[in-house]
Amino acid sequence: MLDFVVIFTKGGIVLWNSNESGKNYAACINSLIRGVILEERNTESKYFEEDHLAVQFKLDNELDVVYAAVFQKVIKLNYLDTFLADMQTAFQEKFGGIGHQERLAIDYEFEQEFRLVLSAAEAASAKQGKAPKAMRSYNESQKSKKTVASMLQDDKRSVTNEKRVNIQESPPATKSQPSSPPRSNADIIQENRRKLREKLTPTKKAASAAASAGLEAKPNNDREKERAGKKPRVWDLGGNSKDAMLLDRSKDAPEDAQLQTINNDLVGTMQGSIRDLDVESDSDAADSEASDDSEQEQQEQQARRALTRKPKSAGLLSYFKGIVGAKTLTLSDLQPALEKMRDHLISKNVASEIAAKLCDSVATSLEGKQMGTFDSIANMVKEALTQSLVRILSPKRRIDIIRDALESKRNGKPYTIIFCGVNGVGKSTNLAKICFWLIENDFNVLIAACDTFRAGAVEQLRTHTRHLNALHPAAKHNGRTMVQLYEKGYGKDAAGIAMEAIKYAHDTRVDVVLVDTAGRMQDNEPLMRSLSKLIKVNNPDLVLFVGEALVGNEAVDQLVKFNQSLADYSSNENPHIIDGIVLTKFDTIDDKVGAAISMTYITGQPIVFVGTGQTYADLKAINVNAVVSSLMK
Amino acid sequence: MDKLNENVRDKKQIKLDNINVTPILAALILGFIVVAIYVILRRRSAGRRDFLLTGLCEAGKSAIFMQLVHGKFPETFTSIKENVGEYRSGHVAGRLVDIPGHYRVRDKCFELYKRNAKGIIFVVDSVTAQKDIRDVADTLYTILADSATQPCSVLVLCNKHDQTTAKSAQVIKSLLEKEINTVRDTRSRKLQSVGDDEVNKPVILGKPGRDFEFAHITQNVQFYEGSAKDNQLNHLTDWIDRML
Repeated sequence: MLDFVVIFTKGGIVLWNSNESGKNYAACINSLIRGVILEERNTESKYFEEDHLAVQFKLDNELDVVYAAVFQKVIKLNYLDTFLADMQTAFQEKFGGIGHQERLAIDYEFEQEFRLVLSAAEAASAKQGKAPKAMRSYNESQKSKKTVASMLQDDKRSVTNEKRVNIQESPPATKSQPSSPPRSNADIIQENRRKLREKLTPTKKAASAAASAGLEAKPNNDREKERAGKKPRVWDLGGNSKDAMLLDRSKDAPEDAQLQTINNDLVGTMQGSIRDLDVESDSDAADSEASDDSEQEQQEQQARRALTRKPKSAGLLSYFKGIVGAKTLTLSDLQPALEKMRDHLISKNVASEIAAKLCDSVATSLEGKQMGTFDSIANMVKEALTQSLVRILSPKRRIDIIRDALESKRNGKPYTIIFCGVNGVGKSTNLAKICFWLIENDFNVLIAACDTFRAGAVEQLRTHTRHLNALHPAAKHNGRTMVQLYEKGYGKDAAGIAMEAIKYAHDTRVDVVLVDTAGRMQDNEPLMRSLSKLIKVNNPDLVLFVGEALVGNEAVDQLVKFNQSLADYSSNENPHIIDGIVLTKFDTIDDKVGAAISMTYITGQPIVFVGTGQTYADLKAINVNAVVSSLMK
Repeated sequence: MDKLNENVRDKKQIKLDNINVTPILAALILGFIVVAIYVILRRRSAGRRDFLLTGLCEAGKSAIFMQLVHGKFPETFTSIKENVGEYRSGHVAGRLVDIPGHYRVRDKCFELYKRNAKGIIFVVDSVTAQKDIRDVADTLYTILADSATQPCSVLVLCNKHDQTTAKSAQVIKSLLEKEINTVRDTRSRKLQSVGDDEVNKPVILGKPGRDFEFAHITQNVQFYEGSAKDNQLNHLTDWIDRML
């Protein structure tokens, strides 16, 4: 069922693979590496899906090796975690002692061990599926998890609980009596009285009554299961005239006496939790029992194989190893340092979710690593965190707008950039700055005023156009106006204006079109739909999200919802989502530059421009090292 | 009691007079010489001895690395970390470092190794060179313009010549020259970055007035063809041997 299992180094060299189907899975593994590991998204789940394949992977930080298993997405294999862990142990045993120089030189024969581990894992999972329901020990039962306070109840509550339970049990009880032969009136009355009784008695009584009445009695198991399913609610003060017969209790004195004792039995078992949950915890308990068994077996197997390894870590030697170094890092060792780092990041205005995810990713990449003699945990964590921050902030593709604009110019098309974002982040201001930069570099620009909502938006752009044309008069540039404004007033459809603007730019050979949109909140569905329509219809070269550096946790929400909306409301297979980020108001934060990290982590897209003020010259590019060093200060 | 003290004092005085200065001086000079030798050796060993394999993603760097160092051709994936190995030919040896090509890790990794680099091997995928010429030129420009790589020699290896649609080295050279000319122009117009780096001011390549040619820059750039799959790396090995 596993299509492809591979062990490869972090340097990209495949050490061993097992290819069941003979197809080439390089593309899948490459997208795993680029999409997950390099994006620092390797948190607990370690699972990645693409097309119809899914990959589960495990990082080995000691040997710098990655174990990956590729399988069909629709097949759920639950033994993969233990399988990968066992593979890691087996691999470390067999090849762990090899020196650094020889690592790539030798041939890796791993087929046998792989078969062993795979069959063990498959057998364990099969066994788990077939295991009988074992009895819960006290510690696993619900009772041991209850606090004392919840067990203290006053009588009123217990009475109402009983009542509700009793009535809920009645429908299945009545269902268990299907086609009964037609009887005389007296029989019918008797039966109705019995039904009434059953409504007030627990199932044991009903089962015995049914058995004594000669009708079929379902086994207790089914009854349990029926009780566990969703039942229609029967209100104890509701009902109509049909129930009047059933509610007639004029004749049942002796049963009443029996009722009392059985109700008392109920009182003990139904405190605190509803019966439904019991069923789930039963299966959970059974699973944990079964997995305990399978783990025991695996441990035995491993003990058989790993007998020689045990003495090394015993006794005095381990104590010395803890002092001198060559200690392997575990999660619990890393936790305190990671907590501090997380708090530090949050104090630097990184969104709290992102800080937590980053620390998880750092923990994954450090777990199992051996510490050198002079390294402290704090230093290693800091180094690993710096490395992952640099990775996140580094762009994942080449950013050179001028080069791309030149290319479009050569092809005779205008280069289109659309600016989107929430209200008040600085879209129009930064659009003017970028326009200034472009005309300084000898590009012809057309500004499309697609903000038809905010009062004064068009006038603002008109003022900017006039200023820019004054700074770069047509006379200096062979008589062509460098900046033009395409506007159609207020209240019109933004997508239509943008389309006409681009067509106009194409006809008049304008090099770059900058489209200004209205600010919108990320959870305003009609506005997000219209933005998505604008982008889909006009097919821009670059969609830039403008975000301010002052934003904190809100950045996560904004970007996720913007991206989501652009992907959802576009009917294409490959929707055009956010391509880059403009980080504005950078001069207002001193070194609390965390917003940069939050935004790039969420989208995976680079920061293209940084706005550092309100004049035309206040436009800069991002410097990854400077930002990371001010974050880690 | 007084006699004892006198004796002690006499002995002390005797000792002060009879100190033999020469052994101490000799020991000091010897120590100084040893430290000087150590420092000189240190500086020489910290000189440039490495060969870096750089290039874009999927160019074939890790494959070439494996061929040169271990003589094997396994399947490779995108590298996350660098591969370091020892290249031996005859009695000379040098360190070969394979820098990952992915944008996110490339810069940091290159920073670590560029100061010790003696030669840089820039691997180009000859089949997709035309399509990706902008990315290739951008990367090559970054490497050439870095102040730490000025004394290195550069070899541009056009890989994947086992395929029929591979462009020849001459074609790639002229494509790169034209593209780097444009890149040089756009780079000069690029925005300043937030928080300037004082250390790495990039060097302007070539002669400012004229079109860019590889002959104009300080590094010695050569173009060769090769194929890692068929182990056709003779030019590369010859070049490295000449450097060592």
